[in-house]
Amino acid sequence: MTPRREIVASVRALDAGSSFGRSVSMVVRGGDFLFVSSLAAVDPHSGEHVRGTTASETRQILTNLEHLLEAAGSSLDKVVKVNVLLHTMLEAPNMNEVYARFFPEPPPARTVCGARLPDGAKVIIECTALA
Amino acid sequence: MTEKLSRSVVQPRNPRLNVSRNANLPHVPGIRIGDYIFLSGMGPIDPQTGERNHGPITEQIRTTLRNMQHMLESAGSSLERVVRVHVVLADISDMPEMERVYREFFPIDPPARTAWSMQLRFGNGCEIECVALAT
Amino acid sequence: MREVIAAPLPGLDLRQHYGHHQSPAIRAGGLIFCSGMLPVDPETGERRHGTLTSEAHVIFGNLKLLLESAGSSLDRLVQVHALIYDSIEYDVLNRVYRQYVANGPPARTVWTAQIEAGFKVQLDVIAAT
Repeated sequence: MTPRREIVASVRALDAGSSFGRSVSMVVRGGDFLFVSSLAAVDPHSGEHVRGTTASETRQILTNLEHLLEAAGSSLDKVVKVNVLLHTMLEAPNMNEVYARFFPEPPPARTVCGARLPDGAKVIIECTALA
Repeated sequence: MTEKLSRSVVQPRNPRLNVSRNANLPHVPGIRIGDYIFLSGMGPIDPQTGERNHGPITEQIRTTLRNMQHMLESAGSSLERVVRVHVVLADISDMPEMERVYREFFPIDPPARTAWSMQLRFGNGCEIECVALAT
Repeated sequence: MREVIAAPLPGLDLRQHYGHHQSPAIRAGGLIFCSGMLPVDPETGERRHGTLTSEAHVIFGNLKLLLESAGSSLDRLVQVHALIYDSIEYDVLNRVYRQYVANGPPARTVWTAQIEAGFKVQLDVIAAT
């Protein structure tokens, strides 16, 4: 049986593909999994980037992620793997403190590293979840 | 207990794009596992010569994505079956130009994507990796 | 359904030692998604800073323990993100890396990234069950 691939209808303002003219789908179903694009801190009503501290951006991202997953019929507790990219690893503890409040027990697998991020973002987060 | 998925190697039909073999590196161009294909990161290799193509970033992205298309098609998949892409740029300011070329390859229902910048080897301007459905 | 792969040895529980909000690995859909593996002592969890080579040996040893405890193995790796702190050590990475993936290496992308605690290398892997 051919595994399903579909673009999952997402929360409108979080659909960065349409908001910013980027060729990206925020949530893609492929087989058993949902592949979620990286999220930067955006206002869920306007789709505008919201700049703050690493902690506040993490909070915005994970709030948006929770809504995206639920709209896709999934949830934070179905996330299997998260990749967190930070503008500096010095901010990892601040990110982690916020992150720990979102993911219920037991948390997904995760990798965190530092890199140069687009649009001045302090943090971006991508994940894979069970559909 | 779930049955073990079968694991096999993905190779490009064009041997010049088999960087793993040509450069004697400890990886393979891709792995097929169950429903999925995981490709190794690809750079701007000229499919005619096997050499790195270091033109403007738009050409590098185009070359890399064409090579990725070839790799997927060699495995019986396609760009339309891609579910996740990682685009790494040597220079973060190349994002708009990357975007312009990228959309040529994923015009409809594009995959999930994360794009960022890191130091890249060999003077490459980009490195692109993807996960696709095998069928 | 997703299933947590618990740390097979106490040192590999990075949550307990370092407060990282993550499980060592998650099994789902026939795959095992591992948290980025670091060069920590598998018994004590102490950081084992060293050369890229020595750190990579510790990481692979830890991955072997983790994957084998889950009924998998290094031979079942499908994708690796090899994070290194500086691309100048690319050849060094390859020299140690190839020792562990001789029986059919997986797909790989090397990321030159800033790694936790000043480590020189970290491996982010997906394996098949």
